[in-house]
This record gives sequence, C-alpha cells and structure tokens, in this order.
Amino acid sequence: MRYDSVRLAGFSALEPKTRRGGFDGPFFLLVLLLLAMGVVMVLSASFPRAYYDPGGVTGGDAAYYFVRQFVFALLGLGAMLLASRLPMGFYRRYALPFLALTLVLLLLVPLVGVKANGSRRWLGVGSLTLQPSELAKLAVILSFSVLICRFRGRMRSFRWGVLPFAGLLGLIVGLLVLEPHFSASIIIIAIGGAMLFLGGLGLGWFASAIGAALGGLALLLTFFPYASERINTWRDPFSSASDEGYQIVQSLYSIGSGGLSGLGLGGSRQKFLYLPEEHNDFIFSVVCEELGFIGAALIICLFALLILRGYWIALHCRSRFSLLVCAGISTLLAIQVFLNVAVVTNLVPCTGISLPFFSYGGTALLIQLGEMGIILSASRDMITERKE
Amino acid sequence: MSEKLNQKGPVPGPDRQMLRRTLFLMAVCGVAVFLALLARLWKIQIVDHDFYQQLALSQQLRQVPGSAARGTIYDAKGNVLAVSASVDTVYLSPAEIELYGEDKELIASKLSEILDLDYEEILEKASRTGSWYVTVARKIEREQAELVRAFKNEYALRGVRLEADTKRYYPNSSLACHLIGFVGTDNYGLEGIEARYDEALSGTAGRSLRATNAFGTDLLFSQFEEYLPGEDGLSAVTTIDSTIQFYVEKQLRQAVEDYDIQNGAGAIAMNVNTGAVLAMASLDGYDLNHFLDVSEEARAEIEAAESPEEAEKLLGAAQIKQWRNKALSDTYEPGSTFKIITLAMALEEGAVNSESSFYCGGSVSVPGRTSPIRCWKSGGHGSQNLTQAVQHSCNAAFVNIGLRVGAERFYQYCEAFGFLNRTGDPDENLTAVTGIDLAGESGSIWWSENTFCSEKNLSQLAAASFGQTFTITPLQLITAVSACVNGGNLMQPYVVSELLNPDGSTAYRRSPAALRQVISGETSEKIREILEQVVGDPKEGTGRNAALSGYRIGGKTGTSEKVSLEAQTGEKQYIVSFIGFAPADRPEIALLVFLDTPSNESGIYVSGGQMAAPVVGKMFADILPYMGFEPEESESADISVPNLTKLSLEMAASRLEEAKLRYRTIGGGKTVTGQLPAPGSRIAEGTEIIIYLGAAPSEDLETLPDLKGMSYHEARDTLSYYGLYISSLSPVTDPDKQTVSSQSLPAGTKTAHGAVIEVALVSRDDAMLGIY
Repeated sequence: MRYDSVRLAGFSALEPKTRRGGFDGPFFLLVLLLLAMGVVMVLSASFPRAYYDPGGVTGGDAAYYFVRQFVFALLGLGAMLLASRLPMGFYRRYALPFLALTLVLLLLVPLVGVKANGSRRWLGVGSLTLQPSELAKLAVILSFSVLICRFRGRMRSFRWGVLPFAGLLGLIVGLLVLEPHFSASIIIIAIGGAMLFLGGLGLGWFASAIGAALGGLALLLTFFPYASERINTWRDPFSSASDEGYQIVQSLYSIGSGGLSGLGLGGSRQKFLYLPEEHNDFIFSVVCEELGFIGAALIICLFALLILRGYWIALHCRSRFSLLVCAGISTLLAIQVFLNVAVVTNLVPCTGISLPFFSYGGTALLIQLGEMGIILSASRDMITERKE
Repeated sequence: MSEKLNQKGPVPGPDRQMLRRTLFLMAVCGVAVFLALLARLWKIQIVDHDFYQQLALSQQLRQVPGSAARGTIYDAKGNVLAVSASVDTVYLSPAEIELYGEDKELIASKLSEILDLDYEEILEKASRTGSWYVTVARKIEREQAELVRAFKNEYALRGVRLEADTKRYYPNSSLACHLIGFVGTDNYGLEGIEARYDEALSGTAGRSLRATNAFGTDLLFSQFEEYLPGEDGLSAVTTIDSTIQFYVEKQLRQAVEDYDIQNGAGAIAMNVNTGAVLAMASLDGYDLNHFLDVSEEARAEIEAAESPEEAEKLLGAAQIKQWRNKALSDTYEPGSTFKIITLAMALEEGAVNSESSFYCGGSVSVPGRTSPIRCWKSGGHGSQNLTQAVQHSCNAAFVNIGLRVGAERFYQYCEAFGFLNRTGDPDENLTAVTGIDLAGESGSIWWSENTFCSEKNLSQLAAASFGQTFTITPLQLITAVSACVNGGNLMQPYVVSELLNPDGSTAYRRSPAALRQVISGETSEKIREILEQVVGDPKEGTGRNAALSGYRIGGKTGTSEKVSLEAQTGEKQYIVSFIGFAPADRPEIALLVFLDTPSNESGIYVSGGQMAAPVVGKMFADILPYMGFEPEESESADISVPNLTKLSLEMAASRLEEAKLRYRTIGGGKTVTGQLPAPGSRIAEGTEIIIYLGAAPSEDLETLPDLKGMSYHEARDTLSYYGLYISSLSPVTDPDKQTVSSQSLPAGTKTAHGAVIEVALVSRDDAMLGIY
C-alpha cells in the first residue's frame, strides 16, 4: 500500500519533499480488528433494549442501533483513510483554527445544546448529534503540539510553558463544566497534562498540579455531598444495589457471571434490561459476560497492542509535531480505554466514559477513526531505519 | 540518538527528553494500566465468579411451577368427590398491544362479552402500555377459553394470552363439604381432607427454571431452560359413602327446618367395628366450588352493614362460621348420651349388674354439693332395675352408679375411652383428641385429676355420671360409644383408607387400628341389650322415637343445657342429641345427631327424645336398606294390600276383611275393575280402600295435606279422604297417641290418587316429656 502524496499539492512546503511511504499495516489491522469486534458487540448488546422499546426511538426494531453503528463504522473507515492521506502539515496548519472552531461549538452547547439526563452535551443537526467535547480532545492534542513546537526551548518557563496551556485548558474545562461534563473534563486535563509532559514541562509543575488536584478533591468531597455519595457507592455498591449502586452492581453481575470462557457470543442475560447503558458506556460488561475472561483479556491486549504501536509510530516520527500528535492520540486512547474498563469493573468511581470502537455513538466513532487516520498519516513519514 | 538525521530537514526533530518521556508514557499507558485492568478482571471473573453468578442468576431466573396434577378424592364406592382439571388464565400484554398496534377497543369488547366482565375495566388494563402482564380472568372454564383462543387466532392477536392453570372441581357441590375441604386460589388445601392430605394430594410440582428479562418475561432466544420434573399428587380413597352422606344431610337439613334450629347441627355416621367415618355433616354447609359465597341470610346482613369495613368483617365471620365442622371442632357437654359410658364402666367393674336396683325420689344429695341434684322427672322414677334406669335416663340412678364406680376408676375409664390424656400433673386440666386424619379437630376439656377425684367434693363425679361439667367433641363421643357396642375395642377414627399412585396402584393402605380394648365383649353385649330396650320398648324407652319397624336399633338420648352460657346470660339453650346404632345385636353403624339450640317456638318439646331421636330413626330408615339390611316382619307392621281385580264385590269385601282393611266403592258394576292403592302397597291397618266397579280412577291430582302433629289414625283417615294412603316407618304401637313427625312428601305436593305416603311417628305421651 503505497500512496503518492506529491499529488496533494499545496502542503508540500511544510514537509520535506520526499515521497511519502505507505501507512503502518499492523496499526491499521489492529484498528480494523477492534472496530469489527466493536460493531458486532453493539449488535449483541443493544438488540434487547431496542426490541423492548416499541414506544421509543427504536420502534421495537432490534437492529436499530446496530445498523446505525455499522453505517458510521463504514463512514469512519472512509474518514480514517482520508485522514491518513492528508499530510501532517495540513494538521499543523489547521490545528489552531480547529481549536477556535471547537471553542465556538463548546460555547454553543450550553446555549442551544440538546439536553439529556440533566446535561447539555450534544449539538444536534437533524438526526445527527455531535459531542463537541470529543472534538475538544483532538483539538487539545493538535493545538498543544503546534504550540509546544513553536515554544521550543521556552517550555520550562512559566510564561511560555504553563500560562498559555493552562489558560486554554481552563477555558475548555470551564465550558465543559457549564454543560456539565465531568468525565470529559478529566480526560481533557489528563491529555493536556500528558502533552505538556511530552513537551518538556518541568516535573515540579506536575507535582504541584497533582497536589492541587488532590486538595481540590478533598474540598469537593467535604462540601458536595453528591460527590462523597459517589465515593461511598464506589466503595460498597451493594449497600445501594437498588438505586445509586444499581448500575455498577448489575455491571459486576455481568462481568462476574462471564467466568473464564463466558456465556458465548450473544448469550448475555444481563443485557435483557437488567444492565443500564449496555450498548453504551457499559458495553464492556456485556463483552465480559459473553466472551469471558479469555475474550475480555484478548480485547484488552488488542487495545494495548494498538496503543503500543501508536507510541512506536510516535517514536519513529521525523518531526516533533508528528511525535506529539501520535503520542497524544495514543495516550488519549489509553486513558479512555482504561477509564471505561476501570469504571465498569468498579476500579474507579462511576462516571460516563465510552469505550472507543465499542460503545454506540456515530459521531464519536467517526472522530476516533479520524484520529487513527492521523496516526496512520504520521506513519507514512516514519524513519524506516533508525541508526543508533 | 537522531540529532544528525533531524538536522537535515527544516523541521526540528524530537529531542532526547521528548523520546524518553514518550517511552515513559508508553510504558504506563501501554502496559501498566492494562496489567491493572487484567488483574481486576481476573479478580471479578475468575476469583469471585461464583459469588456474582449466584447473585446474577437469582435475579435472572424465574421458577415457573409446572403442572403436578393434584390427586383425586374418591368416596368408598369410587365416586369422585374432588378432582382437578386444566383450565386457562387469560392475561393481556399491553406493551405488545401497543407494539403491534392491536385494537384495544376490539379486545376489550370481545373479551368482556366472552368472559362477562366489565368493558371499561379491560380497556383500562389494555392501556397499561408499560406492562407485559396484566391478568384479566383467572381459571376460566374450557368453553370460555376456547372462545378466547378462537378470537385471538382470528385476529392474530399477540397481546392476548392464555396460560395453563388448574382448578379444583367438587361434583357434589356442598355434599360432605366439611369432610372434603377446599383449596385456595394458590392451590393449597385449606380445610378438611384437602388440608390434612395436602402434601400427598399436591405431589411435588415440576418446575421449569427460565431466564427472564428485567420485566419478568421470557428471554427472546433463551438458551437457558432447565426442567426439574415433579411428581403428580396421590389420590385419596376415603371411607365416606356419598349415599349415606346424602341421607344424613337430607334428614339433618329437614330437622333444622322442622325444629327451627338456631345454631347449626351436626351428624356423624361411623362404622362401629373399624372407626371408619361413613358420613359427617355440619350445617350450614356451603358449596365447595364457591367456598367464599355465604348463605343468603348472611349476605342480606352483610349488605345491610353500615360501612365497607363492617361488611368485610361480617363476611369473614360468616365464611369462618360456614367452614367450621361442628362435628369435629365444636365441643359440648354431651349430657345423657354419656350415660352409656358410665354404664359401661360400671358393668365392667362389677359396680352394678342386671339385678341392681335404684330408687329415684326426684333428687339425690351428693357430698360437696350444697343443693341436691335433681332428676329430670321431678316426681321421681321410683324403684328401677338397671335397664329401667337407662330406659328412663334417670339422673338420680346414674349419680348413684357413678358414685359406686368411684372417682378414680371413673377418671381412668375416661382416659381409656379417649376423653382425656393424663400428663403426670394432677392439678392440670386435661384434654385429648381422637387424632382423626382431618384438619381442625378440637380437644376435650376435663377437670384436673385432683379436682375430679377429691374425696370431699364428689359433685364433679356426680355431674359427669350423666354427662355434664366437661366438654368433648361429638366425634369423641361416637368413637367411645362405638367401643361400648362393638365388643369393647376403641378404634382410631379415620377418613382416608387408601392413597393411590398416579398409575392407580396402592401407595398406602390403612387398616383399622384398635387403640385398646376398654371393656370386655360380655359387658359390650349387655350394653347393647340395655340400649336396645331404650329404643325398642314402646312403653318405657325414652329413645322409642328412633325406632324403625323391622329393624333392631339401640341408642340413647341426650339433652344438654349450655350451663356456662346460662351462667353468663341467664338464657337457657340446649343441645339435643341422639346416638344410635344398628343392628342392635351385631352393630355395623353408629349414628350421632346433635341439634344446637332448637327454637322454643317449633311446637315440639325441646329434648333429645322428641327432636333428635326421630331424625336418627329416619336416617336409619334410609341407610339400613341401602347397606343391605332387610327389615324383619313385625307384628305391628302395616298391611299389604291384596289384589282385588276381576273379583266380585263380595269376594273383594271378604278379602279385605281378612286383611283388616275397610273399603268404599265407586261405580255400579258387579266386578272390581280397579282399586286404590295398587296391590302389594303396604298401608296402615284399617285404611279405607277404594274399589272401582266399572269406573276408572280419576286422573286428577290431589294436593297433599300437612299431616304433622296428627295421630296416625287421624292422618290415615285424612289421607284416605283424598284417595291417598299412609304407611309408617316407625313401629305402630299406639296409633291414637303416636303423632306424625314427618312425611315422605312435603305438604302441598300434587299427588296422584293411590299414592302411599310414608310417615315417621313420635310418641308424645306426657311421661315422655322431659329434659333427658
């Protein structure tokens, strides 16, 4: 698979005029594999909910969610291939305009967003909905990469290394809190921190930031009973198994009853309306129940391999920008996968984080595959033989 | 490491620090976090697997009870008393009605029509679109279920569903209702045999274990379904004879009406040799198929209630009252019927014998009692031998007999006859039950040993000798009296004789169990002889109203005052009773009838001899021929009408004179062309026969007059005026003093000429009137 990037004229000035290589095959195959598994699991996990909801959006059509996810997976594949063809210079050039666009959209959300479960997180156009917070994650990675490259050598100073980045993060998180969208805020802060870590910010700043975060958390738990209730539910979900702890208890039932080899694909019983969000944030519980520890561990390992390959590509990038983008996207993927599985296994307190490639959600899937396309694009410029 | 390469291009390459930090992130985000996740999954899925699986299964699985058929209950002749049948329960799935856009109005109107239910109610149920299961009608009949099924199929409705259930049917409605009992909606036996043998009858229901969704309905493509097979229930063969039960209930119901009984009545028929219960009745009864429905009077009272709570309370009380088996659950002071027991122990212990004589001056003084005990006959019975003392039911004589037996021996015999169980504590009031295999048996209440056997105070012993100051159940009395007449063996009473496996083979067979021999065979024989004189002696026997021509019957009357009720309210109420057995020389069956609180306004003297004895006699009149006992010819019997057809009038007249019958003629011919009644009919002596000479008997129907209270001869002549005839079940000993107590067809019946009306007679001479 060799693609000629020369024909993509107009952006060649930003990159050395070399023939671009083919993209990284192993990374592409891992994405395909996970995507295929994800779409199948959406079908398995969602059909009872879709079937038993004759009065709702699905109209009782058991394949409702699957069909939509499948269409978006095909669109996403196209988006990934397109993104993989665009040269890295394109991303570098449009990183900041993209950030500006994202900020506008985030601003729009509290004003005209679609409300669901007490939060405004979506922008709707017809039947299409978009979570700008998904875009914001990519915008942070791209814009931080640009700025880190631009501020090269000045990253250790407060003025260049901390202030602009902290300002941007503060702005974005501030807008997310308005929605409110707690889990997206955490991910944005984490990915921003990771970018700064890669960009060479002094480790002292991280120490103080972590300290401040812990202090803030302590204050939060003291003054907001809602937050400490969550902690209690986390520590002993069975004490409130019929209300606050219901979701996590049902998730543990699913995962635990899977055992070593699972109930077989399609065999979940918990998805029959016991487990809430079974095709969304808690799809991995259904995976565990149906495919058992063996299947779940296999998927975890595939994710790990994909992420490791992403970092491997980053390490082989010729430019700092490409490295930062690839490592950033890999880190984002790792954070999402870890937090999602940690939530459904009650390793961390419950919050809504979707599992990339698996959770139902068309635009999110589109964006995730686009991100994979960016890594593939960077992989075309890899140093094929690094001399030590 | 790559400084040289990077320097070639215009874009600066990554520096060492950036690569190092990338490697660090790679180790953390690519390896460490996933190891943590794998460890966590291992813990939940492998280590704690059983724990979570158990909890998950407990919410996912529903046990659906299978169809263990409840066993059938048969009577002794193989007739079905209770049987289960498959029925259907209709329910709606409103969510599916909504989902498939089915017509709610159509469903409601059609179902309301088929099931005879309220349209609006079904429409409301069909509109609960959040639900998948709403019951419309439980346990509907087969025909209705077929209509519902046809309707469902016609419109291919998915929201209308039927599910299998079972229903208990009682083919005889109220017959033997208290013995059989019933099952509740959840198929548990609640009374009688159904309750006592619930475990055996119900068997073990099979269960299918099914995975269900959170709504409780089946999973779409459930791979998980396990069936745990059950066992069908055993069938019970009882000792009840439906025919005897029917006769007993018929006569008992008639008695309640005739005597205006205020507080219900009961009867037990027992095989004296085995203890098998042949029949047991308690009034008022109820229809087992509609055991919640109460009698019309009770319903009127409930409808008149002031508040719904009050109505509910009344309904509950009425239901509990009608379900109560008086023969088993009521305790009472038996009164004079208990004299049989006193007689038995006195004879067995040699305290009295046939030559003993007793003097009754109308009352008798007892140590420990301030006032003397009075005999029911205030003038006294004078000097009597033992048989006469029993015939007269003389209280004074029986106090005497009791004192001769002595308190301790008396107490021992009461225990031996099953009225009390000693516990070792002489100060404890004692109780006992027969242990019959029926639910709801009450226990007797007896004085403690120290009180009863006190030497200073013999009043308890004296009163107990004629059946007062303690309470027992009717079942205990008939069990003990059976022992007195069957040769001395106290039998364990029972109702279920055999349990059958579903394939019809015997699972368990009960053989009659003698608990102990209480008295000797000789004593038993003497008792039978004496008790036969109580019924059979038309001059002195206080039980003579139970006599039946052609049969030898023994028995004893009882009239017990509710002493504690009188002490509380000052109101005098009586339970009148009679216990009889037949045939008197070789008894097979014992019958106890008790009537609780007859009205004083019925016109009949309130006593066991006047009220209960004729009832037992009439029951025997039905039951003994059914059991295969042929009546013996007796000199007091009615006369068989000779065949006079084609004889000349003179010949006919002489035949009739021979037969002690009178005649009148209709028509002017010379030879007999017809006669009323038909040849062979048994009718009363001296009846006027109608002889038709050339004419034919009129086809008109006559309205039967009320004969009750007329003497036998008055009744005979009244009937013959209408061209109707009379015959008597009771021995005719004094046709001018014996009065009709009942007639085989009720007054007002349209009757063809020549019909023979059977009547029962009671003796109402003044010497017979008394509380005994």
